[in-house]
Amino acid sequence: MTGQPLPEPAPSPTATDAGIPSTQRAARPRWRETLGLLARNPAAAVSGALLLLIVLVAVFDEALAPTGPNEISVEDRLQPPSLEHPFGTDDLGRDIFSRVILGAAVSLRVGFLAVAVALVIGSLIGLLAGFYGRWVDDVLMRIMDMLFAFPAVLLAIAVLAVRGPGSGNTALAIGIVYIPVFARVTRASVLGVREEVYVRASRSVGASDLRLLTRHVLPNAAPPIIVQTSISLAFAVLAEAALSFLGLGTQPPNPSWGLMLAEGRGFIDIAWWLAFFPGMAIFLTVLCFNLLGDGLRDVLDPRQRTLMAGGAR
Amino acid sequence: MTAPVLEVDDLRVQLRTPRGTAHVVNGLSYSVGPGETVAVVGESGSGKSVSVLALLGLLPQRVATVSGRALLQGEDLLSMPPERLRQVRGPGAGMVFQDPMTSLNPVLTVGRQIVEGLRAHADVNAAAARRRAAELLGEVGLPDPERALDRYPHELSGGMRQRVVIAIALSNSPALLIADEATTALDVTVQAQIIDLVERLQTDHGTGVIWITHDLGVVAGIADRVLVMYGGRCVEDGTVDDVLERPAHPYTRGLLGSLPDLAAPVGPGGEVPDLTTVPGLPPPPTDLPAGCVFWPRCPVRGDARCETEQPPLVQVGSGRSGHFGRELPHRAATWCSEEVR
Amino acid sequence: MSDVLVSARGLEVHFPVRSVGLRRTGGGVLRAVDGVDLDIHRGETVGLVGESGCGKSTLGNALLRLVPPTGGRITFDGSDVTALDRRGLKEMRRRAGMVFQDPFASLDPRRTVAQTVAEPLEVHKLRSGRRERAARVGELLEMVGLDPAVASRYPHEFSGGQRQRVGIARALAGEPDFLVCDEAIASLDVSVQAQVLNLLRRLQRQLGLTLLFISHDLSAVRHLSDRIAVMYLGRVVEVGPAATVASDPQMPYTQALLSAVPVPHPARERARQRIVLRGDVPSPSAVPSGCRFRTRCPYVFEPCPDVDPALQPAGAPGQLAACHLHGVVGIPVADDTPEGVTTTPTS
Repeated sequence: MTGQPLPEPAPSPTATDAGIPSTQRAARPRWRETLGLLARNPAAAVSGALLLLIVLVAVFDEALAPTGPNEISVEDRLQPPSLEHPFGTDDLGRDIFSRVILGAAVSLRVGFLAVAVALVIGSLIGLLAGFYGRWVDDVLMRIMDMLFAFPAVLLAIAVLAVRGPGSGNTALAIGIVYIPVFARVTRASVLGVREEVYVRASRSVGASDLRLLTRHVLPNAAPPIIVQTSISLAFAVLAEAALSFLGLGTQPPNPSWGLMLAEGRGFIDIAWWLAFFPGMAIFLTVLCFNLLGDGLRDVLDPRQRTLMAGGAR
Repeated sequence: MTAPVLEVDDLRVQLRTPRGTAHVVNGLSYSVGPGETVAVVGESGSGKSVSVLALLGLLPQRVATVSGRALLQGEDLLSMPPERLRQVRGPGAGMVFQDPMTSLNPVLTVGRQIVEGLRAHADVNAAAARRRAAELLGEVGLPDPERALDRYPHELSGGMRQRVVIAIALSNSPALLIADEATTALDVTVQAQIIDLVERLQTDHGTGVIWITHDLGVVAGIADRVLVMYGGRCVEDGTVDDVLERPAHPYTRGLLGSLPDLAAPVGPGGEVPDLTTVPGLPPPPTDLPAGCVFWPRCPVRGDARCETEQPPLVQVGSGRSGHFGRELPHRAATWCSEEVR
Repeated sequence: MSDVLVSARGLEVHFPVRSVGLRRTGGGVLRAVDGVDLDIHRGETVGLVGESGCGKSTLGNALLRLVPPTGGRITFDGSDVTALDRRGLKEMRRRAGMVFQDPFASLDPRRTVAQTVAEPLEVHKLRSGRRERAARVGELLEMVGLDPAVASRYPHEFSGGQRQRVGIARALAGEPDFLVCDEAIASLDVSVQAQVLNLLRRLQRQLGLTLLFISHDLSAVRHLSDRIAVMYLGRVVEVGPAATVASDPQMPYTQALLSAVPVPHPARERARQRIVLRGDVPSPSAVPSGCRFRTRCPYVFEPCPDVDPALQPAGAPGQLAACHLHGVVGIPVADDTPEGVTTTPTS
């Protein structure tokens, strides 16, 4: 594998003044290097692959599900897992395997949407607060503190109470709850990058603030934000499940993992599979996002990067 | 004739790195007499720092392979069990690094750190150790040593911190003091004070000093003998006058030529001539040339063997006897010492 | 058109020092740059030397308004730098480049050499079109002694000296008239320092640049500069032709500083007479009254504590020193307490 940084070019008699020989292979793009490194972390690689699978399942849900989500079949009520119904059936005779597949779409859509809201708004706030400092920082971060101080579930319930239940509003509610998290992570990262000499150097050639922010500060401040995104996705999926469980999120009869968990609760002693399979789906997805986040954290740290590139030789 | 404080024989250090095995030190031999200062000169990557870290067992064992012999007052540092090495480090050899903050603990007072060093190697009570610590700080020229004991490192200036580190290094009156770029981060006026201090302490205690630096000006002032390192090898050694005034190795010549001179003569148009430079970069220690290590950058290349055969370190000038009645030959590892002259 | 390209008059950069505690009153002022007068002529190289903390870097940054001056005037090619609007400032930053000390920190690790060097071209719209920009980047890299083929590589693949060359190429991309080199060789190896010094000199001649070379290395400054300015505690205390300042300094501080520089010739080094100064440099938040060097000066006499010496002719033609040994010229220290300072009676 050739993921490691290029070796110091060996000086040759024909080298230029600075000692760089003219024949050098071109640098590999950064993202490919990142993927290459990530592939060597078994936990992260497996998680990534599994997440990809889950996303594919969510995308092609209707094509994959053997039955429709709400096809009721009274004679098949509460069937244990079998060849015909791999995950069994629920109290209305609906195929749980199909509902878990279709629920993936609902749960993930809410998760991605929520994190997108939090990422865009939170990072922007953190970026401005960290870069401009002074009163901008004071004002923005005090607002974030207030938002943060509000109990998360209460805040989400309040949003849903105002806007009404449903998966779109659930995503919005969860997104708002996570805005301060992204704002803080971004601000902390930006504070470090802002002081870097290369930012000053770029300013010294006349670059505008917008250019500094988009070309230098944000790309260099991104790694912790990317990690936070992955971990937040896990929490968002969990939060969707929790809100649906409370009856505030996705509304029946639509399948969402959290809702299925809630519905299966009443049958836990006679038909464990009702709650078990959606629960496993949540568990796996959350675990994968977390492991991927950890893997990304290691890979995106430049110091770690060098070590890993060498270690895997 | 007195026995040398330190005798290094065929020291070799290999480090396992992501890019393969790095041959960082390749057969280094030298000795340091009591009261003598040996300057080890070289650029980054020449192996000069690693060579002394290896002596004191300060390289991570996971990646470093050290071989050879290094007798400190007759005892081999390299084959010593780790507990013995720890005992030897204080009273046998003290070390001063470039950045004083890396050797001082920021959350302990200066006094506490000196006292700990003292009590680790000698059986003294706290009060006596504190008295001795104040004495030491006075000796290294800290104003108001009693008060300085209760200061934290960040409350002191860079020069003062380096004095504290020297005080700690000297607290157990070591036979050998190793200074690794100890004045590089300091201003010239402070550097001059620190050099004076080390020279005075050396005369008082007969300490042998290894002074690692890239600054040939400092070397000219402080060293009795000079050892020029390049690519993990000693390419030239001899008395300071021999090496700096009559350099025999093309690398030493290049290094000296690349130094701007404060007193350079001015031409008619107020012009100072360009510096002669050594083009290119040192070879990576993972990929050293087969012949002379300096061959890829060498402007001379006066011999057919340069590219293929490693030149041995041989006498180039008349040997002379220095202090302590020892022979101090001027040696260089090059096939081209004649052409250079 | 005037002969002076950059000029500072009474330039001050003061930083508020926040005192510990909740009340922000009572915090002092750190006088990083404290009344600097300096003229830099078109096409010349001025070396700015001084010990760490003397304010030489802050001065360099203030001249390009990378640090806002708190007092005094800076002019660049006749126009008042402190009064420039956004567009004027941008244009000034095209005409004035900067090379930074640490070549490992001054290049954005996520951008290729080409992207870094092309930044001024994009910012100032100097070359339209991808291909033209790439050609110009290649030209610039060649100019600093790098192979244009390295343009697509990232900074971590280069050695310190090579990175510094990239930094120089970036500073030159806007075709500046004025280049500030802030300790540009300090973190390089000896043989690489020489390469970069030669490069800077070659470029200065080739492009007719005006250069401010900030360094603590007196030998390097002497080598590269036409004139040398010596800073102590936020003030230029001596300025003059490089050769004369180096061989016949007039200000006692310059004398001491020069005498502390070790020379790589054992015989000369042994013969070197050193002037050892008392004590440490005072803190820039507690500058002594009168002459700021008087607390360490071996020649203090009557006027020193009372009169702040101005730069005045001393020694060779063109040489100026701020020292009462060359006649008492300066601003007397006021007897009465300055406004805003309350004194508590010592009883």
